[in-house]
Amino acid sequence: MQYFVNVTLTGLTEGMVYSAFALALVLIWRSTRIVNFAQGSMAAATTFIALALIQAGQSYWVALVVALLSGLVLGAIVERVVIRPVEGGPELNAVIVTLGLFVAIQAAIAIVFGSAFQSFPTPFGLEGFQVGDDRIALTPNSVWVIAAVLVTMALLVVLFRFTRIGLAMRASAFGQEVARLLGVRVGRMLTLGWALAAVVGSLAGLLIAGGEFVYPAYMDSLIVFGFVAAVLGGLDSPIGAIVGGLILGLALSYVSGYVERGSALVNVAALVILMVVLLVRPGGLFASSTARRA
Amino acid sequence: MTVIAAATAASTLAACGGSDDGGGGDGGGGGGDASANEASDIGITEDSIKLGAHFPLTGVAAPGYSEIPTGSQAYYECLNNEGGVNGRTIDYIYRDDAYNPTNTSQVVNQLVLEDEVFAIVGGLGTPTHSAVLDFLNSEGVPDLFVSSGSLLWGEDPETNPYTFGWQTDYESEGKIIGQYIADNFPDAKVGLFLQDDDFGEDGEAGIREYIDDQIVAAERYTPGNTNVGPQIAALQAAGADFVVGFNVPSYTALSQLTALQLGYDPQWFYSNVGSDPTLVGSLLNNFSQGQVSDASLLDGALTTDYLPTVDEPDNPWVQEFQRIWDECGGEGELTNYRIYGMAQAYTTVQALQAAGQNPTRDGLVEAIEIAGGDWEGPVLAPFRYSEDSHMGTAGMSISRVTGDTTEEVEPVQLTDIGGAEIEPFDGEMAEVPENGIPNEESVID
Repeated sequence: MQYFVNVTLTGLTEGMVYSAFALALVLIWRSTRIVNFAQGSMAAATTFIALALIQAGQSYWVALVVALLSGLVLGAIVERVVIRPVEGGPELNAVIVTLGLFVAIQAAIAIVFGSAFQSFPTPFGLEGFQVGDDRIALTPNSVWVIAAVLVTMALLVVLFRFTRIGLAMRASAFGQEVARLLGVRVGRMLTLGWALAAVVGSLAGLLIAGGEFVYPAYMDSLIVFGFVAAVLGGLDSPIGAIVGGLILGLALSYVSGYVERGSALVNVAALVILMVVLLVRPGGLFASSTARRA
Repeated sequence: MTVIAAATAASTLAACGGSDDGGGGDGGGGGGDASANEASDIGITEDSIKLGAHFPLTGVAAPGYSEIPTGSQAYYECLNNEGGVNGRTIDYIYRDDAYNPTNTSQVVNQLVLEDEVFAIVGGLGTPTHSAVLDFLNSEGVPDLFVSSGSLLWGEDPETNPYTFGWQTDYESEGKIIGQYIADNFPDAKVGLFLQDDDFGEDGEAGIREYIDDQIVAAERYTPGNTNVGPQIAALQAAGADFVVGFNVPSYTALSQLTALQLGYDPQWFYSNVGSDPTLVGSLLNNFSQGQVSDASLLDGALTTDYLPTVDEPDNPWVQEFQRIWDECGGEGELTNYRIYGMAQAYTTVQALQAAGQNPTRDGLVEAIEIAGGDWEGPVLAPFRYSEDSHMGTAGMSISRVTGDTTEEVEPVQLTDIGGAEIEPFDGEMAEVPENGIPNEESVID
């Protein structure tokens, strides 16, 4: 029983991390209709900035704020300098550009910060809570991760559903021409979308790194799981991203814990889950409507 | 070059004539008569020998392992300052494969076909080096002293005549660990934490020969999947109070973190590969702000050794390696990985000396088969090299981590793969030769 509880809790915590990353993907998709493959290395870049600050003696919270701000700036710069010139061409162009960016940023991190394996500190403890005589696989740090992701999701829901700016961002993403005719400053909205997505991505990067090891490519495996989580949830829904991440985290943890040689099957299992969900619900679990294209 | 070589000319040719095994001849050593040197094979000129290697300098396997070639480099540099091998300096080229077999094939191709090295030395990793095993053997390139304890390198010299292992293989290590547990912890319920490849499999096979009935769980992790929560939780659930890990250093750190999370506190025994206290300590170091104290997590853990380590400052080999690192090394401290690289370079020089004044690729292989079994050096146990076996050293000692150092709890035990018994080693530690440079005689005409 204790084993089941621990495998479940491990899965929940991992799932939350996938959710955090999926949220950033959803955000950029909602606000620009681009799938951003560079998200992982952008997040890694800001995480390394935070790590440098912490190693220089700053507190975790200062580093967190600086990382989020640099995410904001990085996102805006990437949109203005790299993405803007290819926007308006075939949709695939921007996506391929983000792929190139993914590799380029990763290389830049290695040049600036080195490629060594380093541990990343957490603001909270890594020892599990005591329940009765046993310690369970839920740590103060996992509570922080879960809380941070849920709060971020709530903020995003509020932004898109209840604010004018959220509406303007969605309008710009769906139909640039129409939005422009209605007086929305589409260019600014796209930049804002990228910037906000990069902030959420930076947060995800920090949450993933806490209590783990970072190196320039540490987000690689998470990019895959983050995408699977986002697509599971429908790529359009913040709540879907959270649910997708949790489903994936739990399922992979059970595979790893209960299947013989499960650790090796985790990546295969992720694909199988994705296939099954897409066969049953092609738009993902939380797709709000059939795909509308601009 | 000729001037220097002539000044230090040693009677290499004369020494070829006769003698028994290793030890103290006046052969190869510091100099040689360069005038009699010929460009006897690919990668050999009158005054240089080109050697190549592949190591993970970036990526998951880089921590620790990336330091090995810097140790070798420092050793060759000091050797070159003393005149090299038979008047030839060593030109050592190592390339990054990021522990990715595809990259390994590419960089080894480059080393063999473009750089035209005489031999590949110390290529690191089982999955990586497996990718180039056939290529090197079909090209007839000596593939010396692979940095991995897989049985692949040495158990079948007929298939892979040019490849030699170097360190104690994982199966022998498993056997020695198994016997130690049977003798000292007969009531322990043993759990295994294994990397899901040859490394874990060979170790498990060895350990099961001795304590199959004590093992209550065997959990495998896949390198790259950093979530080991389910595996550690399974060991805990199976009631294991003694866990043996055949894993790489980053997974030692991950397993410790996960165990801390779960409040799981068995007796840990990490195989040599995953146990470097300094490296694991530095990996865990940053977490101290999250209330985890660094290397003390490993306090009390058991491990194995086949080389002297940096925490033995009184060991004459360590002192000599420290001198070499101070004089010829780069940035940073002497580490166990750098000692590994230097010890490997030491064996390489023994092989080059034994291959004679004008070495050839085939002659080098023959020399190791003839003389390698008698070589002494920093390694704690003798090599098993012969015509029938290309396996590396035959034994290990067992030690316990206490704080930042280790103390020996069992002296060197010798064994071999297959059904070989385990016996205590009755030899003594070899003496350090002058300048840390071996002095083997040529065994090739």
